Amino acid sequence: MHLECDGLKYTYPGAKAAVIDNLCFTMTAPGFNAVFGPSGVGKTSLAKLLVSRGNRQESCISTFDIDTILYSYNQERLPNWSSIGSHLNKICPIGKETLKKELIEIFKLKPLLAARFSQLSMGQQNRVNLIRYLLQEFDLLILDESLANVDEALRETIILAIKTLFPGKMFLYISHNLMEVAKFCREILILGESTKQRKNFMVRGRDYTQGYTLDKKAFDATMLEIMNAF
Amino acid sequence: MLFRRIYQFLIVYCIGLTCLLAIKKILVLSDYVIPGIPLILDTFGQVFRGYFFDVLNTLSVTILGQIISIIMAFAVGILGRKSSWAGSFVKVMAYNIQAYPIVALAPIIFILLGDGFISRLLIASMICYFPLLLSVLGIMASPVKDIEHFYIATGRMRWQLEVKIRAFENLSKLTTVIAGSATLAMAGTIVAEFIAANAGIGYSIRIALYQSDLARILAALFMIGIVISVYQGILETLGAQLKTKWSAPKEGELL
Repeated sequence: MHLECDGLKYTYPGAKAAVIDNLCFTMTAPGFNAVFGPSGVGKTSLAKLLVSRGNRQESCISTFDIDTILYSYNQERLPNWSSIGSHLNKICPIGKETLKKELIEIFKLKPLLAARFSQLSMGQQNRVNLIRYLLQEFDLLILDESLANVDEALRETIILAIKTLFPGKMFLYISHNLMEVAKFCREILILGESTKQRKNFMVRGRDYTQGYTLDKKAFDATMLEIMNAF
Repeated sequence: MLFRRIYQFLIVYCIGLTCLLAIKKILVLSDYVIPGIPLILDTFGQVFRGYFFDVLNTLSVTILGQIISIIMAFAVGILGRKSSWAGSFVKVMAYNIQAYPIVALAPIIFILLGDGFISRLLIASMICYFPLLLSVLGIMASPVKDIEHFYIATGRMRWQLEVKIRAFENLSKLTTVIAGSATLAMAGTIVAEFIAANAGIGYSIRIALYQSDLARILAALFMIGIVISVYQGILETLGAQLKTKWSAPKEGELL
Protein backbone atom coordinates (compact mmCIF):
# COMPACT_ATOMS: atom_id res chain seq x y z
CA MET A 1 0.00 0.00 0.00
CA HIS A 2 1.45 3.29 -1.12
CA LEU A 3 0.20 6.87 -1.31
CA GLU A 4 2.39 9.51 -2.87
CA CYS A 5 2.06 13.16 -3.79
CA ASP A 6 4.73 14.66 -5.97
CA GLY A 7 4.57 18.41 -6.50
CA LEU A 8 0.83 18.67 -5.93
CA LYS A 9 -0.49 22.15 -6.51
CA TYR A 10 -4.04 23.42 -6.26
CA THR A 11 -5.56 26.87 -6.56
CA TYR A 12 -9.26 27.47 -6.03
CA PRO A 13 -11.00 29.12 -8.98
CA GLY A 14 -10.71 32.89 -8.61
CA ALA A 15 -8.09 32.70 -5.85
CA LYS A 16 -4.74 34.42 -6.31
CA ALA A 17 -2.61 32.09 -4.23
CA ALA A 18 -2.46 28.32 -4.34
CA VAL A 19 -3.93 26.62 -1.27
CA ILE A 20 -1.59 23.67 -1.87
CA ASP A 21 1.73 24.45 -3.47
CA ASN A 22 4.29 21.85 -4.46
CA LEU A 23 3.23 19.30 -1.86
CA CYS A 24 5.40 16.21 -1.75
CA PHE A 25 4.96 13.31 0.63
CA THR A 26 4.85 9.53 0.71
CA MET A 27 2.95 7.17 2.98
CA THR A 28 4.14 3.67 2.44
CA ALA A 29 2.10 1.24 4.52
CA PRO A 30 -1.36 0.68 5.97
CA GLY A 31 -1.98 2.31 9.32
CA PHE A 32 -3.24 5.36 11.06
CA ASN A 33 -1.64 8.43 9.52
CA ALA A 34 -2.46 12.08 9.98
CA VAL A 35 -2.59 15.44 8.27
CA PHE A 36 -1.95 18.18 10.77
CA GLY A 37 -1.75 21.94 10.52
CA PRO A 38 -3.49 25.19 11.34
CA SER A 39 -6.84 26.12 9.82
CA GLY A 40 -6.77 27.14 6.19
CA VAL A 41 -3.55 25.44 5.13
CA GLY A 42 -5.38 23.03 2.81
CA LYS A 43 -6.01 19.87 4.85
CA THR A 44 -9.56 19.44 3.60
CA SER A 45 -8.57 20.52 0.10
CA LEU A 46 -5.87 17.84 0.08
CA ALA A 47 -8.43 15.26 1.23
CA LYS A 48 -10.80 16.22 -1.57
CA LEU A 49 -7.97 16.10 -4.11
CA LEU A 50 -7.04 12.61 -2.94
CA VAL A 51 -10.64 11.44 -3.32
CA SER A 52 -10.95 12.90 -6.80
CA ARG A 53 -7.55 11.67 -7.95
CA GLY A 54 -9.14 9.52 -10.65
CA ASN A 55 -10.88 12.48 -12.21
CA ARG A 56 -7.73 14.52 -12.64
CA GLN A 57 -5.70 13.93 -15.75
CA GLU A 58 -2.38 15.44 -14.76
CA SER A 59 -2.50 13.95 -11.31
CA CYS A 60 0.52 14.33 -9.07
CA ILE A 61 -1.06 11.77 -6.77
CA SER A 62 -0.05 8.17 -7.22
CA THR A 63 -1.38 5.20 -5.32
CA PHE A 64 -0.51 1.55 -5.18
CA ASP A 65 -2.88 -1.04 -3.77
CA ILE A 66 -5.36 1.72 -2.94
CA ASP A 67 -8.47 1.46 -5.07
CA THR A 68 -11.25 2.85 -2.94
CA ILE A 69 -10.77 6.12 -1.09
CA LEU A 70 -13.60 7.30 1.13
CA TYR A 71 -13.83 10.72 2.73
CA SER A 72 -15.85 11.35 5.87
CA TYR A 73 -16.24 14.70 7.59
CA ASN A 74 -17.75 15.95 10.77
CA GLN A 75 -20.77 17.84 9.48
CA GLU A 76 -22.34 14.95 7.65
CA ARG A 77 -25.90 14.09 8.49
CA LEU A 78 -28.15 11.07 8.21
CA PRO A 79 -31.69 11.49 6.91
CA ASN A 80 -34.06 11.99 9.79
CA TRP A 81 -36.89 9.85 8.43
CA SER A 82 -35.90 6.74 10.33
CA SER A 83 -33.89 5.71 13.38
CA ILE A 84 -30.10 5.45 13.23
CA GLY A 85 -30.38 1.71 13.91
CA SER A 86 -32.50 1.35 10.80
CA HIS A 87 -30.07 3.47 8.77
CA LEU A 88 -27.11 1.37 9.90
CA ASN A 89 -28.96 -1.83 9.00
CA LYS A 90 -29.68 -0.50 5.52
CA ILE A 91 -26.13 0.51 4.70
CA CYS A 92 -24.46 -2.51 6.30
CA PRO A 93 -23.11 -4.80 3.55
CA ILE A 94 -23.96 -8.49 3.76
CA GLY A 95 -21.45 -10.32 5.92
CA LYS A 96 -20.51 -7.32 8.03
CA GLU A 97 -23.30 -7.59 10.60
CA THR A 98 -20.90 -8.82 13.30
CA LEU A 99 -18.53 -5.93 12.64
CA LYS A 100 -21.48 -3.54 12.83
CA LYS A 101 -22.50 -4.89 16.23
CA GLU A 102 -18.92 -4.69 17.46
CA LEU A 103 -18.51 -1.12 16.28
CA ILE A 104 -21.81 -0.09 17.87
CA GLU A 105 -20.56 -1.51 21.17
CA ILE A 106 -17.15 0.19 20.94
CA PHE A 107 -18.64 3.51 19.84
CA LYS A 108 -21.15 3.28 22.74
CA LEU A 109 -24.17 3.78 20.52
CA LYS A 110 -26.31 0.80 21.56
CA PRO A 111 -28.74 2.81 23.73
CA LEU A 112 -29.22 5.32 20.91
CA LEU A 113 -30.18 3.01 18.06
CA ALA A 114 -33.88 3.86 18.29
CA ALA A 115 -33.22 7.60 18.19
CA ARG A 116 -33.39 9.82 15.13
CA PHE A 117 -30.23 11.55 13.99
CA SER A 118 -31.46 15.01 15.00
CA GLN A 119 -31.93 13.80 18.57
CA LEU A 120 -28.24 12.96 19.00
CA SER A 121 -25.52 15.22 20.32
CA MET A 122 -22.85 16.36 17.88
CA GLY A 123 -20.37 13.80 19.18
CA GLN A 124 -22.92 11.02 18.89
CA GLN A 125 -23.77 12.13 15.36
CA ASN A 126 -20.11 11.97 14.37
CA ARG A 127 -19.76 8.50 15.87
CA VAL A 128 -22.76 7.18 13.93
CA ASN A 129 -21.42 8.70 10.75
CA LEU A 130 -18.00 7.15 11.21
CA ILE A 131 -19.52 3.69 11.74
CA ARG A 132 -21.24 4.00 8.38
CA TYR A 133 -17.91 4.49 6.65
CA LEU A 134 -16.09 1.79 8.58
CA LEU A 135 -18.68 -0.71 7.38
CA GLN A 136 -17.96 0.01 3.72
CA GLU A 137 -15.30 -1.45 1.49
CA PHE A 138 -12.33 0.94 1.42
CA ASP A 139 -8.57 0.97 1.16
CA LEU A 140 -8.03 4.50 2.40
CA LEU A 141 -10.45 6.29 4.69
CA ILE A 142 -9.96 9.99 5.28
CA LEU A 143 -11.35 11.11 8.62
CA ASP A 144 -11.74 14.89 8.44
CA GLU A 145 -12.44 15.87 12.05
CA SER A 146 -14.68 12.81 12.10
CA LEU A 147 -14.31 12.45 15.86
CA ALA A 148 -14.88 16.11 16.70
CA ASN A 149 -17.04 16.72 19.78
CA VAL A 150 -16.40 13.18 21.05
CA ASP A 151 -14.95 13.11 24.57
CA GLU A 152 -11.24 12.40 24.82
CA ALA A 153 -11.44 9.01 26.53
CA LEU A 154 -13.93 7.60 24.04
CA ARG A 155 -11.98 9.08 21.15
CA GLU A 156 -8.90 7.20 22.30
CA THR A 157 -10.90 3.97 22.64
CA ILE A 158 -12.31 4.42 19.14
CA ILE A 159 -8.96 5.18 17.49
CA LEU A 160 -7.28 2.21 19.18
CA ALA A 161 -10.18 -0.06 18.18
CA ILE A 162 -10.01 1.11 14.57
CA LYS A 163 -6.29 0.36 14.50
CA THR A 164 -6.93 -3.14 15.83
CA LEU A 165 -9.95 -3.94 13.66
CA PHE A 166 -8.56 -2.58 10.38
CA PRO A 167 -4.84 -3.37 10.35
CA GLY A 168 -4.70 -3.68 6.56
CA LYS A 169 -6.34 -0.32 5.79
CA MET A 170 -4.85 3.12 5.54
CA PHE A 171 -6.40 5.99 7.47
CA LEU A 172 -5.71 9.67 7.06
CA TYR A 173 -6.80 11.45 10.20
CA ILE A 174 -7.29 15.19 9.92
CA SER A 175 -7.36 16.72 13.36
CA HIS A 176 -6.34 19.76 15.34
CA ASN A 177 -5.58 17.69 18.42
CA LEU A 178 -1.79 17.67 18.70
CA MET A 179 -1.55 15.11 21.51
CA GLU A 180 -3.86 12.66 19.80
CA VAL A 181 -2.08 12.93 16.47
CA ALA A 182 1.35 12.56 18.07
CA LYS A 183 0.23 9.62 20.18
CA PHE A 184 -1.71 7.42 17.76
CA CYS A 185 -0.55 8.24 14.25
CA ARG A 186 2.33 6.63 12.45
CA GLU A 187 3.15 9.14 9.76
CA ILE A 188 2.12 12.74 10.25
CA LEU A 189 2.03 15.14 7.33
CA ILE A 190 2.48 18.64 8.69
CA LEU A 191 1.04 21.30 6.44
CA GLY A 192 2.51 24.71 7.16
CA GLU A 193 1.39 28.11 6.06
CA SER A 194 2.63 29.12 2.64
CA THR A 195 4.41 32.16 4.13
CA LYS A 196 6.66 29.91 6.26
CA GLN A 197 9.98 28.74 4.97
CA ARG A 198 9.25 25.09 5.75
CA LYS A 199 5.85 24.59 4.19
CA ASN A 200 5.25 20.89 4.67
CA PHE A 201 7.10 17.88 5.99
CA MET A 202 6.61 14.48 7.58
CA VAL A 203 6.98 13.60 11.25
CA ARG A 204 7.00 10.12 12.70
CA GLY A 205 4.30 9.74 15.36
CA ARG A 206 4.33 7.35 18.31
CA ASP A 207 1.75 5.01 16.68
CA TYR A 208 0.56 3.52 19.97
CA THR A 209 -1.76 0.55 19.82
CA GLN A 210 -4.07 -1.10 22.37
CA GLY A 211 -2.43 -1.70 25.76
CA TYR A 212 0.34 0.82 25.13
CA THR A 213 2.64 2.30 27.76
CA LEU A 214 3.34 5.94 27.25
CA ASP A 215 6.99 6.84 26.75
CA LYS A 216 6.72 10.38 28.04
CA LYS A 217 10.09 11.54 26.82
CA ALA A 218 9.65 10.27 23.28
CA PHE A 219 6.08 11.53 23.21
CA ASP A 220 7.18 15.02 24.30
CA ALA A 221 9.85 14.99 21.63
CA THR A 222 7.32 14.13 18.93
CA MET A 223 4.98 16.86 20.10
CA LEU A 224 7.84 19.38 20.16
CA GLU A 225 8.84 18.41 16.65
CA ILE A 226 5.31 19.06 15.43
CA MET A 227 4.92 22.31 17.38
CA ASN A 228 8.21 23.66 16.08
CA ALA A 229 6.70 23.61 12.63
CA PHE A 230 4.56 26.62 13.53
CA MET B 1 -53.71 26.31 11.65
CA LEU B 2 -57.20 25.86 10.27
CA PHE B 3 -58.85 28.31 12.67
CA ARG B 4 -56.00 30.79 12.35
CA ARG B 5 -56.56 30.89 8.57
CA ILE B 6 -60.31 31.46 9.06
CA TYR B 7 -60.06 34.23 11.61
CA GLN B 8 -57.28 35.91 9.64
CA PHE B 9 -59.61 35.97 6.64
CA LEU B 10 -62.51 37.26 8.78
CA ILE B 11 -60.34 40.12 10.05
CA VAL B 12 -59.30 41.08 6.50
CA TYR B 13 -62.86 40.77 5.21
CA CYS B 14 -64.26 42.91 8.06
CA ILE B 15 -61.59 45.58 7.47
CA GLY B 16 -62.44 45.64 3.76
CA LEU B 17 -66.17 45.85 4.44
CA THR B 18 -65.65 48.61 7.00
CA CYS B 19 -63.63 50.61 4.44
CA LEU B 20 -66.42 50.20 1.89
CA LEU B 21 -69.05 51.34 4.38
CA ALA B 22 -66.84 54.26 5.40
CA ILE B 23 -66.59 55.34 1.73
CA LYS B 24 -70.36 54.98 1.43
CA LYS B 25 -70.84 57.18 4.52
CA ILE B 26 -68.26 59.81 3.56
CA LEU B 27 -69.40 60.15 -0.06
CA VAL B 28 -73.08 59.67 0.86
CA LEU B 29 -73.51 56.93 -1.71
CA SER B 30 -76.82 55.15 -2.30
CA ASP B 31 -77.49 51.47 -1.54
CA TYR B 32 -77.41 50.88 -5.29
CA VAL B 33 -73.67 51.69 -5.40
CA ILE B 34 -72.58 50.32 -2.02
CA PRO B 35 -75.25 48.42 -0.13
CA GLY B 36 -75.80 49.01 3.58
CA ILE B 37 -75.43 46.35 6.26
CA PRO B 38 -79.14 45.34 6.31
CA LEU B 39 -79.13 44.80 2.54
CA ILE B 40 -75.87 42.86 2.66
CA LEU B 41 -77.22 40.59 5.41
CA ASP B 42 -80.48 40.12 3.54
CA THR B 43 -78.61 39.19 0.33
CA PHE B 44 -76.37 36.82 2.30
CA GLY B 45 -79.48 35.01 3.52
CA GLN B 46 -80.87 34.73 -0.01
CA VAL B 47 -77.77 33.54 -1.84
CA PHE B 48 -75.94 31.64 0.88
CA ARG B 49 -77.09 28.17 -0.12
CA GLY B 50 -76.68 28.68 -3.87
CA TYR B 51 -73.29 30.34 -3.56
CA PHE B 52 -72.08 27.68 -1.15
CA PHE B 53 -72.62 24.99 -3.77
CA ASP B 54 -71.14 27.24 -6.44
CA VAL B 55 -67.97 27.63 -4.38
CA LEU B 56 -67.85 23.87 -3.81
CA ASN B 57 -68.14 23.39 -7.55
CA THR B 58 -65.26 25.82 -8.09
CA LEU B 59 -63.28 24.17 -5.30
CA SER B 60 -63.66 20.72 -6.86
CA VAL B 61 -62.15 22.03 -10.11
CA THR B 62 -59.47 23.84 -8.09
CA ILE B 63 -58.48 20.69 -6.20
CA LEU B 64 -58.37 18.58 -9.33
CA GLY B 65 -56.40 21.25 -11.17
CA GLN B 66 -53.99 21.56 -8.27
CA ILE B 67 -53.47 17.80 -8.07
CA ILE B 68 -52.69 17.68 -11.79
CA SER B 69 -50.25 20.59 -11.51
CA ILE B 70 -48.54 19.07 -8.45
CA ILE B 71 -48.04 15.77 -10.29
CA MET B 72 -46.76 17.58 -13.37
CA ALA B 73 -44.53 19.91 -11.39
CA PHE B 74 -42.93 17.00 -9.52
CA ALA B 75 -42.50 14.96 -12.70
CA VAL B 76 -40.88 17.83 -14.59
CA GLY B 77 -39.01 19.07 -11.51
CA ILE B 78 -37.47 15.62 -10.98
CA LEU B 79 -36.55 15.37 -14.67
CA GLY B 80 -35.11 18.87 -14.69
CA ARG B 81 -33.10 18.62 -11.47
CA LYS B 82 -29.92 17.45 -13.21
CA SER B 83 -27.43 19.89 -14.62
CA SER B 84 -27.50 18.02 -17.93
CA TRP B 85 -28.67 19.74 -21.13
CA ALA B 86 -32.15 18.26 -20.65
CA GLY B 87 -32.30 19.64 -17.11
CA SER B 88 -31.08 23.05 -18.21
CA PHE B 89 -33.58 23.05 -21.09
CA VAL B 90 -36.49 22.28 -18.73
CA LYS B 91 -35.37 25.01 -16.32
CA VAL B 92 -34.98 27.67 -19.02
CA MET B 93 -38.36 26.74 -20.50
CA ALA B 94 -40.05 26.88 -17.11
CA TYR B 95 -38.52 30.25 -16.20
CA ASN B 96 -39.50 31.77 -19.54
CA ILE B 97 -43.03 30.38 -19.68
CA GLN B 98 -43.83 31.36 -16.10
CA ALA B 99 -42.89 34.94 -16.96
CA TYR B 100 -45.85 35.04 -19.35
CA PRO B 101 -49.30 35.83 -17.88
CA ILE B 102 -51.10 32.52 -18.36
CA VAL B 103 -54.54 34.13 -17.89
CA ALA B 104 -54.00 35.90 -21.18
CA LEU B 105 -54.11 32.50 -22.87
CA ALA B 106 -57.59 31.79 -21.47
CA PRO B 107 -59.49 33.04 -24.55
CA ILE B 108 -57.52 30.67 -26.79
CA ILE B 109 -58.42 27.77 -24.50
CA PHE B 110 -62.10 28.72 -24.56
CA ILE B 111 -62.04 29.06 -28.36
CA LEU B 112 -60.43 25.66 -28.76
CA LEU B 113 -62.16 23.73 -25.98
CA GLY B 114 -65.36 25.72 -25.47
CA ASP B 115 -67.09 26.55 -22.17
CA GLY B 116 -67.15 23.95 -19.46
CA PHE B 117 -65.22 21.74 -17.14
CA ILE B 118 -62.10 21.00 -19.23
CA SER B 119 -61.38 24.67 -19.93
CA ARG B 120 -61.75 25.59 -16.24
CA LEU B 121 -59.55 22.68 -15.21
CA LEU B 122 -56.86 23.52 -17.74
CA ILE B 123 -56.67 27.18 -16.75
CA ALA B 124 -56.63 26.31 -13.02
CA SER B 125 -53.81 23.80 -13.59
CA MET B 126 -51.78 26.15 -15.78
CA ILE B 127 -52.00 29.05 -13.37
CA CYS B 128 -50.71 27.13 -10.36
CA TYR B 129 -48.39 24.81 -12.30
CA PHE B 130 -45.54 27.21 -13.12
CA PRO B 131 -44.98 28.71 -9.63
CA LEU B 132 -45.09 25.15 -8.28
CA LEU B 133 -42.67 23.94 -10.94
CA LEU B 134 -40.16 26.70 -10.14
CA SER B 135 -40.23 25.83 -6.44
CA VAL B 136 -39.95 22.09 -7.07
CA LEU B 137 -37.14 22.66 -9.59
CA GLY B 138 -35.31 24.88 -7.10
CA ILE B 139 -35.63 22.27 -4.36
CA MET B 140 -34.82 19.24 -6.50
CA ALA B 141 -31.83 20.90 -8.15
CA SER B 142 -30.19 21.86 -4.83
CA PRO B 143 -28.07 19.03 -3.42
CA VAL B 144 -28.14 18.37 0.32
CA LYS B 145 -24.41 17.71 0.38
CA ASP B 146 -24.09 16.81 4.07
CA ILE B 147 -26.53 13.94 3.60
CA GLU B 148 -25.92 12.94 0.00
CA HIS B 149 -22.11 12.72 0.28
CA PHE B 150 -22.11 9.28 1.90
CA TYR B 151 -24.52 7.75 -0.60
CA ILE B 152 -22.61 9.18 -3.57
CA ALA B 153 -19.21 8.17 -2.18
CA THR B 154 -20.35 4.60 -1.54
CA GLY B 155 -22.25 4.25 -4.84
CA ARG B 156 -25.61 3.93 -3.13
CA MET B 157 -27.24 6.99 -4.62
CA ARG B 158 -30.31 6.32 -6.76
CA TRP B 159 -32.61 8.97 -8.19
CA GLN B 160 -35.42 7.88 -5.87
CA LEU B 161 -33.19 8.35 -2.82
CA GLU B 162 -31.94 11.69 -4.10
CA VAL B 163 -35.52 12.93 -4.58
CA LYS B 164 -36.53 11.58 -1.17
CA ILE B 165 -33.64 13.33 0.60
CA ARG B 166 -34.26 16.66 -1.11
CA ALA B 167 -38.03 16.51 -0.61
CA PHE B 168 -37.64 15.52 3.03
CA GLU B 169 -35.13 18.27 3.76
CA ASN B 170 -37.44 20.86 2.18
CA LEU B 171 -40.75 19.49 3.40
CA SER B 172 -41.77 22.78 5.06
CA LYS B 173 -41.04 24.72 1.87
CA LEU B 174 -42.92 22.21 -0.25
CA THR B 175 -46.03 22.18 1.94
CA THR B 176 -46.04 25.99 2.08
CA VAL B 177 -45.75 26.22 -1.70
CA ILE B 178 -48.48 23.62 -2.23
CA ALA B 179 -50.80 25.37 0.26
CA GLY B 180 -50.02 28.72 -1.39
CA SER B 181 -50.70 27.34 -4.85
CA ALA B 182 -54.26 26.53 -3.76
CA THR B 183 -55.04 30.26 -3.93
CA LEU B 184 -53.56 30.43 -7.43
CA ALA B 185 -55.57 27.42 -8.59
CA MET B 186 -58.73 28.95 -7.11
CA ALA B 187 -57.96 32.27 -8.79
CA GLY B 188 -57.40 30.47 -12.11
CA THR B 189 -60.70 28.60 -11.84
CA ILE B 190 -62.63 31.75 -10.92
CA VAL B 191 -61.04 33.68 -13.79
CA ALA B 192 -61.98 30.87 -16.18
CA GLU B 193 -65.55 30.85 -14.84
CA PHE B 194 -65.68 34.60 -14.98
CA ILE B 195 -64.62 34.68 -18.64
CA ALA B 196 -66.73 31.99 -20.20
CA ALA B 197 -67.81 29.09 -18.00
CA ASN B 198 -71.38 28.09 -17.21
CA ALA B 199 -70.95 27.04 -13.59
CA GLY B 200 -69.06 27.91 -10.41
CA ILE B 201 -68.75 30.96 -8.22
CA GLY B 202 -66.94 32.95 -10.93
CA TYR B 203 -69.98 32.49 -13.16
CA SER B 204 -72.25 33.71 -10.30
CA ILE B 205 -70.01 36.75 -9.79
CA ARG B 206 -70.27 37.54 -13.50
CA ILE B 207 -74.08 37.49 -13.25
CA ALA B 208 -73.97 39.70 -10.13
CA LEU B 209 -71.61 42.07 -11.94
CA TYR B 210 -73.97 42.41 -14.90
CA GLN B 211 -76.76 43.23 -12.38
CA SER B 212 -74.39 45.66 -10.56
CA ASP B 213 -75.31 43.82 -7.35
CA LEU B 214 -72.41 44.56 -5.00
CA ALA B 215 -74.14 42.78 -2.10
CA ARG B 216 -74.08 39.50 -4.04
CA ILE B 217 -70.45 40.05 -4.99
CA LEU B 218 -69.59 40.65 -1.33
CA ALA B 219 -71.44 37.47 -0.39
CA ALA B 220 -69.55 35.55 -3.09
CA LEU B 221 -66.21 36.96 -1.88
CA PHE B 222 -67.08 35.94 1.66
CA MET B 223 -67.89 32.38 0.58
CA ILE B 224 -64.72 32.14 -1.52
CA GLY B 225 -62.60 33.45 1.36
CA ILE B 226 -64.05 31.06 3.91
CA VAL B 227 -63.80 28.01 1.67
CA ILE B 228 -60.25 28.73 0.46
CA SER B 229 -59.16 29.42 4.07
CA VAL B 230 -60.55 26.06 5.14
CA TYR B 231 -58.91 24.34 2.19
CA GLN B 232 -55.53 25.98 2.80
CA GLY B 233 -55.80 25.28 6.51
CA ILE B 234 -56.43 21.60 5.76
CA LEU B 235 -53.45 21.49 3.38
CA GLU B 236 -51.18 23.11 5.98
CA THR B 237 -52.41 20.78 8.70
CA LEU B 238 -51.82 17.77 6.46
CA GLY B 239 -48.33 19.08 5.65
CA ALA B 240 -47.53 19.54 9.34
CA GLN B 241 -48.84 16.06 10.15
CA LEU B 242 -46.83 14.53 7.33
CA LYS B 243 -43.68 16.26 8.57
CA THR B 244 -44.33 15.14 12.14
CA LYS B 245 -44.99 11.56 11.06
CA TRP B 246 -41.98 11.42 8.78
CA SER B 247 -39.37 13.16 10.87
CA ALA B 248 -40.26 13.37 14.51
CA PRO B 249 -39.23 10.69 16.96
CA LYS B 250 -41.90 8.57 18.59
CA GLU B 251 -40.95 9.77 22.04
CA GLY B 252 -39.69 13.02 23.49
CA GLU B 253 -39.59 16.29 21.66
CA LEU B 254 -37.21 18.01 19.28
CA LEU B 255 -35.54 21.24 20.32
